[in-house]
Amino acid sequence: MSTVLDTLVSQPYKHGFVTDIESETAPKGLNEDIIRMISAKKNEPEWLLDFRLKAYRHWLTMTEPKWPNVTYPKIDFQDISYYAAPKPKKKQSMDEVDPELLRTFEKLGVPVHERAALAGVAVDVIFDSVSVTTTYKEKLAEVGIIFCSISEAVHNHPELVKKYIGSVVPAGDNYYAALNSAVFTDGSFCFIPKGVKCPMELSTYFRINTQDSGQFERTLIIAEEGAQVSYLEGCTAPKFDTNQLHAAVVELVALDDADIKYSTVQNWYAGDENGKGGIYNFVTKRGLCKGRNSKISWTQVETGSAITWKYPSCVLLGENSIGEFYSVALTNHKQQADTGTKMIHLGKNTRSTIISKGISAGHSNNSYRGLVKIGAKAEGARNFSQCDSMLIGAKCGANTFPYIQVNNPTAKVEHEATTSKIGEDQLFYFQSRGIGTEEAVSMIINGFCKDVFQQLPMEFAVEATKLLGLKLEGSVG
Amino acid sequence: MTTAAVHPYVASLLAGSGAVPKSPAAWLDARRASALERANALSVPTTRDEEWRFTDLTPLTKLQLQPAALPAPVTAEEVEAHAVPEAAVRLVFIDGILVPQLGSSGTLPAGVTVLPLADALKSHAALLEPHLTKIAGDDLFASLNTAFLNQGVFIHFAKGAVLKAPIHLLFVAAGQNVAAHPRVLLVAESGAEGCVIEDYVAQGEAAGLTNAVTEIAVADNAAVRHIKLQRESQKAFHIGSCAVTLGKDARFVSQAVTLGARLSRNNLAILQQGEGVEVAIDGLALIDGRQLADTHTLIDHLKPHGRCEQVHKTIVGGGAHAVFNGKVFVREGAQLTDSSQQNRNLLLSDKAHVDTKPQLEIFADDVKCAHGAAVGQLDPDHLFYLKSRGLPEAQARNLLTYAFGAEIIDRIPVPSLVAKLEAMVLARTEAGA
Amino acid sequence: MINKDAKTILEVRDLTATVAGVEILKGINLTVRAGEVHAIMGPNGSGKSTFAKVLAGHPAYTVKGGDVLFEGKDLFALESDERARAGIFLGFQYPVEIPGVTNSAFLRLAYNTVQGGRGKDELDPLEFDDLVREKMKLLEMNPEFLGRSVNDGFSGGEKKRNEILQMALLEPKLALLDETDSGLDIDALRVVAGGVNKLLNADNACVLVTHYQRLLNYITPDYVHVMSAGRIIRSGDRTLALELEERGYDWLLDGKKAAA
Repeated sequence: MSTVLDTLVSQPYKHGFVTDIESETAPKGLNEDIIRMISAKKNEPEWLLDFRLKAYRHWLTMTEPKWPNVTYPKIDFQDISYYAAPKPKKKQSMDEVDPELLRTFEKLGVPVHERAALAGVAVDVIFDSVSVTTTYKEKLAEVGIIFCSISEAVHNHPELVKKYIGSVVPAGDNYYAALNSAVFTDGSFCFIPKGVKCPMELSTYFRINTQDSGQFERTLIIAEEGAQVSYLEGCTAPKFDTNQLHAAVVELVALDDADIKYSTVQNWYAGDENGKGGIYNFVTKRGLCKGRNSKISWTQVETGSAITWKYPSCVLLGENSIGEFYSVALTNHKQQADTGTKMIHLGKNTRSTIISKGISAGHSNNSYRGLVKIGAKAEGARNFSQCDSMLIGAKCGANTFPYIQVNNPTAKVEHEATTSKIGEDQLFYFQSRGIGTEEAVSMIINGFCKDVFQQLPMEFAVEATKLLGLKLEGSVG
Repeated sequence: MTTAAVHPYVASLLAGSGAVPKSPAAWLDARRASALERANALSVPTTRDEEWRFTDLTPLTKLQLQPAALPAPVTAEEVEAHAVPEAAVRLVFIDGILVPQLGSSGTLPAGVTVLPLADALKSHAALLEPHLTKIAGDDLFASLNTAFLNQGVFIHFAKGAVLKAPIHLLFVAAGQNVAAHPRVLLVAESGAEGCVIEDYVAQGEAAGLTNAVTEIAVADNAAVRHIKLQRESQKAFHIGSCAVTLGKDARFVSQAVTLGARLSRNNLAILQQGEGVEVAIDGLALIDGRQLADTHTLIDHLKPHGRCEQVHKTIVGGGAHAVFNGKVFVREGAQLTDSSQQNRNLLLSDKAHVDTKPQLEIFADDVKCAHGAAVGQLDPDHLFYLKSRGLPEAQARNLLTYAFGAEIIDRIPVPSLVAKLEAMVLARTEAGA
Repeated sequence: MINKDAKTILEVRDLTATVAGVEILKGINLTVRAGEVHAIMGPNGSGKSTFAKVLAGHPAYTVKGGDVLFEGKDLFALESDERARAGIFLGFQYPVEIPGVTNSAFLRLAYNTVQGGRGKDELDPLEFDDLVREKMKLLEMNPEFLGRSVNDGFSGGEKKRNEILQMALLEPKLALLDETDSGLDIDALRVVAGGVNKLLNADNACVLVTHYQRLLNYITPDYVHVMSAGRIIRSGDRTLALELEERGYDWLLDGKKAAA
């Protein structure tokens, strides 16, 4: 029976191919010259180079965090290339994008042609260190929305980038955020002006292609008063038997009455069944609900990466602001995930909801780590947290580390946690009612994750369900 | 004969234990004597003891207490006010002493025995011997109770005996500065079903100590419901321990409502000795003023397929203090245990406070355990909704507070008790608003 | 109801089985004809629950020897889900909880799968809803259960009713009820036993595995078998159960030892 479970959880990774394209890669290693080189390549203004150098100098004084429940060999930061870009250099219009790149993204199912795109989704496509193309840019500009790569934003909207970059995740926030601030190469920039409801889903697709490079992207989303936006992010990487580092920073700012919904389907290469290869995904994501009645909602489906270390957070500063976190994290084989969220309640009547579903299979280890902090001035703050774990088989682990700090007596904080297991008894129960194992597993997993999938935009919900299916279903031996 | 107590207050509590009449059973005398030894060696716990971390017994040690020589005068009318009409039989204890003429008894079905402990020791010693003092723990208060063991009740359900109507045990605290040590032993044999109500009330505002111990043995496939109401005076001290053992496929329901006492401590310890048991633990404490209500529960899953669902609620007003410590142990091999625990606390004032400490210790790898704790005030959205429908603030608050407690009370399957408790909760919430 | 001319539903010959390398069943022989109710009793660890699970195809058990014919065909040639579709139903001693999967979705999928396996039409959700509500009345179940997750948070009694509800829907030819009475209050036992009685007819059969004689006050067995150490050591009619209630198992076990 355990062999049945094994085949069920051992589906091959479908995005593991490498695109054969000539790349321009920086020499391995990290020092101020490399940072100056990146900045020069991108023709950046002086203030941004200063920002990078300050972050780098601070990073040198820091040490890697030891508290996550993950183990991995020490990373040699001098053995990584901090810049890789496909040659020839990025073109101005779609027609000039290297056809090899277009084929890559088509193969991955990413809609890079506007005419072929899913209706209502604008995509920024990031290949290794640079943004390859952004669709629907003009259409969005008509309503005043800026959606472009962050490199482009640095040139075309420097005042906005300067005002907000590092305002939510300061350059010295943590080890990986500092590293990112020093070496980030590209990422997406969205600005939704006052009163505008973004007419389509905005999406970024990240692809790591080069073996020895890291990916350090930086995303910044700003929603002005009354603005609304739903943003999606997807990630894949080829199969290498070495590990690649991905250390991204995402910053969200919501002003009065603004609403940002940020969804991720993360499917970086996870390494093979023996834990060889895969992405180290060390990401800092944070949203600031700066204005009254603002709302930031994180939804993530985490299925990839060898190691995931990620806590999309909300700082609830504005009165009546709302933070949400919906997560499905699936680990298999030797994957390790330490993921969760932080909800920092600073303003009055702020509310937050945390729904976390962890699924562990194989020899993997899946931890939920969450902080709910109610500040002294957060009168009437409320939080509800639900953290459910499901174990598939007997060799995996699940942990829950809820931290609750309440400094205001009027606050209401609720935490619930459950652990359940899919073993032979559960599958036998279905079978003894005539239902086969494959159908049973899919029914159980979808039932378990339903609360989170409901939060995803339609296309992503379908993708996420398929993705979990790919990871867990298969021919029953 | 025995060494003197180390702790002066324990010595004073033990004064009079020598007057307990010799039992007809030598084994009981031996058990009493060893409990006396043990009590002598123990001290009154302080907040440095983990088990008493949040509950300071200092006020108790300022009271000089004596066991009652005679029950204080209580009239039949006064007892009748506490009657539970659904009950099949009622036994009444005043200051820990059985007063037979205040009791009542209908005909019990075959196989159901309800006897004063002293009589049962004469007539049913062989049924008592395997259980009496064997189920309860041996902390200071349980040891004190055993040292005084004489007054109490023995309830026996023979194999397959079913009594739907509850057995009502009424304990009235009436005398000043009296310490009472009542004991209840309930044994349900295989396939039996029964329900007992332990009802602690006060006559006047007497300050005293009730130190009750209940032992319950539920055999294979038997079912017992234990309802405990504590509404003693706001000057009283109440320490109660209920210890339960469960056989294979046994069911046990505990429903405890605490309204009274200046300081109360409720211990419930359940040992799952057979596989496939089903347990429900409901608790409600409604306190205000300077009251302290402390509930400690333990469910120890020793065997597989145990199921336990616990909900403990407190409503805390004034400068009152509620304490909850719920332990869930899942031992190695106790696979497929499903144990959940919820502790919900409603604070009605800024000075009220709650200490809650859920404790899960799991040594098996295929179990389902859920726990949750919530501390908070009334939901402003709910209040606003009621107010927007025209209810004045105070009334809206009362209604919501009442509803919070009613959820627990409504599950007691004795309509007259539900009606009485609901009226009491409503009166309390109105007075507290 | 015994009818010697009725067709044989289950034929077990010298069945032996192990779990984790330990032999639990050491040669079971049993014949069950249509219309019959068999009760299998025995002390803890005698192998009676194992017997039911082996027949249903629980993966933890390995069949080592013997034959089992179900309606004349080799039972062990079928996977457990195929056995269910062929008409074997196991009522679980400890029904499994499936959080997140609603009872209605589960019941409908099971029903339609089994119907499909028998070449019958599947029911759409609305038709199925009518059917399941009808069957629920039989077990005095609140329709509210349909919206809840499978067995999740159900009391012991509710789970057992849910098992018999599934039996009512799947209409098995052979129902194996593994300690369906354990942990039931007397009122719940009456309802569950009443449900089973209504489902039994001249064309199907039932094997009750039970720990407590009390169940047999409500479902009258045609045969009572006593299992001990992996074998059926005594078979008789319902009076054997009454005798066991009076005298316990020891006299049988002692007798066996004496005879050995």
